[in-house]
Amino acid sequence: MPEPSVHLDGISKNFGDTVAVDRIDLVVEHGEFLTLLGPSGCGKTTTLNLIAGFLAPDAGAISLAGRPVNDLPPFRRDMGLVFQDYALFPHMSVAQNIAFGLRMRRIDRREIAQRVGEALGLVQLAGLGERRPTELSGGQRQRVALARALVIRPTVLLLDEPLSNLDLKLREDMRLEIMALQRKLAIATILVTHDQSEALVVSDRIAVMNRGRIEQVGRPAEIYERPASRFVAEFIGTMNFVAGQAVSSATAGHVCVVRTDYGQLTAPAPRAMRAGQQVQIAFRPERCRLAAATKPEAGAFLAVPGQVCQHVYLGTRTEVHVALQAGGHCIVELSNDGEQTLPAVGDDVCILLKGQDCSVVPTG
Amino acid sequence: MTGRAMSRLPWAVLRGLVGLIYVFMLGPIIITATVSFNAANQSRFPPVGLSLHWWAEALSPRWLQPLGFSVKLALLAAIITTLLGLPLAFGLTRYRFPGREVLIALSLGPLALPALVTGIGLLQLFQISGFGFLLGFPALLIAHVIICLPFCVRTVAIGLQAMPAKVEQAAASLGARPRTVFLEVTLPLIKSGLFAGASFAFIQSFTDYSISLFLSRAGMQPISVTILSFLDYGFAPTLAAVAVISMVAPLVLIFLVQHFFRIGDFVYGAGGGA
Repeated sequence: MPEPSVHLDGISKNFGDTVAVDRIDLVVEHGEFLTLLGPSGCGKTTTLNLIAGFLAPDAGAISLAGRPVNDLPPFRRDMGLVFQDYALFPHMSVAQNIAFGLRMRRIDRREIAQRVGEALGLVQLAGLGERRPTELSGGQRQRVALARALVIRPTVLLLDEPLSNLDLKLREDMRLEIMALQRKLAIATILVTHDQSEALVVSDRIAVMNRGRIEQVGRPAEIYERPASRFVAEFIGTMNFVAGQAVSSATAGHVCVVRTDYGQLTAPAPRAMRAGQQVQIAFRPERCRLAAATKPEAGAFLAVPGQVCQHVYLGTRTEVHVALQAGGHCIVELSNDGEQTLPAVGDDVCILLKGQDCSVVPTG
Repeated sequence: MTGRAMSRLPWAVLRGLVGLIYVFMLGPIIITATVSFNAANQSRFPPVGLSLHWWAEALSPRWLQPLGFSVKLALLAAIITTLLGLPLAFGLTRYRFPGREVLIALSLGPLALPALVTGIGLLQLFQISGFGFLLGFPALLIAHVIICLPFCVRTVAIGLQAMPAKVEQAAASLGARPRTVFLEVTLPLIKSGLFAGASFAFIQSFTDYSISLFLSRAGMQPISVTILSFLDYGFAPTLAAVAVISMVAPLVLIFLVQHFFRIGDFVYGAGGGA
């Protein structure tokens, strides 16, 4: 088993009194695509800068491919970096930009020419080597930046919000392109982004960050379907919550019985729960059903009564906003498959929850 | 009135204004140049007769010596100013440190003070501190560097701020040592700011008289001061010829710098370029 490409062991970074990164542990395996996802100010960019060597950690150890790098300056770390605003050298041609890292490694001229040519082909820019960066479109510039970072065959590829300057359509295409390139080259990659859909699409694993800490690390489906905290649940996609209290204790990853105002529900708890703990039952708008209030269904369902207050038509689906009788607000999505009947605004309804479709997260 | 005529009016006004500016900028130069060809020792316009006598006079050592002195002084002042201005601008734009505000005030201060005041102040400083022996070239050089520095710090700082974000970090991540980053990335990107600063410094030094007046001594006098003292005897055609000759140095410089380094791009933004 080779050493992991990146290993962060308890790293912290403070700026004055502000804790930017707070005792983070993280492992990125060889060939893995990991995304640091979080709102601005959560410490994800600081973490990236610590790995790249632009900042020094106040505590903790960083190793790259098994080699401790805490004391290595950025130019010795063998990183490929791609920035949000590309950071291409405007006074050099595209080919010179890509050749820069190879020149720094004192590789001979013929090999440089050959590898620059290959890199241009890899990012589908063959023939544009003599252009200036200013003569290229945003998407092309980002490709040059990728080629420049990849051509040095770095240990790790670091992507700092690389797509946020592109418009939506291009961004979605580039996502797939970066993903395909990363899989093809099998290079360990860390992407920093605040865009949750980007994270869900490209990542092998996502580390969700908040206030300098990693809240949860997991595969995209785990993060989306089994959020471990209220923050993760709210940050990714749309999430509904119903408050309750844990009846039994539960170990992480097992089911927990929760008592609510509407009855009891047994649902999985990604984190350990104590009996008596205040919790939230979290469920997605697409993972619940609506029923008329007059005929509550019995069995494994928890029925949460409320009144329809708004429809939001989104083409492929319609969001039904429901004001709960006990206070609060939930969104139920009905897919536009022709089978669904929309309750009218003002109708009394029940939201039906199945335990398997919910997650139990601690309150607050 | 049609929309077309409406839109034509502002252009006509603009054209008129530009015409006026040309008249007032070029008029004095043309008149001065013509006057230098007078046959008589009188500043007549249009000139009376035609003579190269005053030009021969103007090209004598009496005038060429201070002219050479000025060129040497301005070149050295520009070089030293640039060498000081570069690190100063770097420190002021990149770092936050105690005393930064003071340094900003000091490096921009001479712009705000009337040059005459700076001149008198420097003269007194040299004399009181016992450095009176520096009067002449050394004192002039020090004074010119002081008054030229603000231009240089400004233009270099603008160049540094206009540099695309993170290109230096990108270079470092690709394996460039700090020295290489500076030489291969930073320096080429602030080059036009640097040359703009140096040219402004040269022109500022070459055209200054209000400070030089106090710090010169016999035999160590820039052309501006020489012209000024000659004016005590009235405006002769010789002076006109000298004035034309002294215009050549800054003009040549501006032409060269504009040709090779495009200061115009620096000041007004490059058209599509980097």
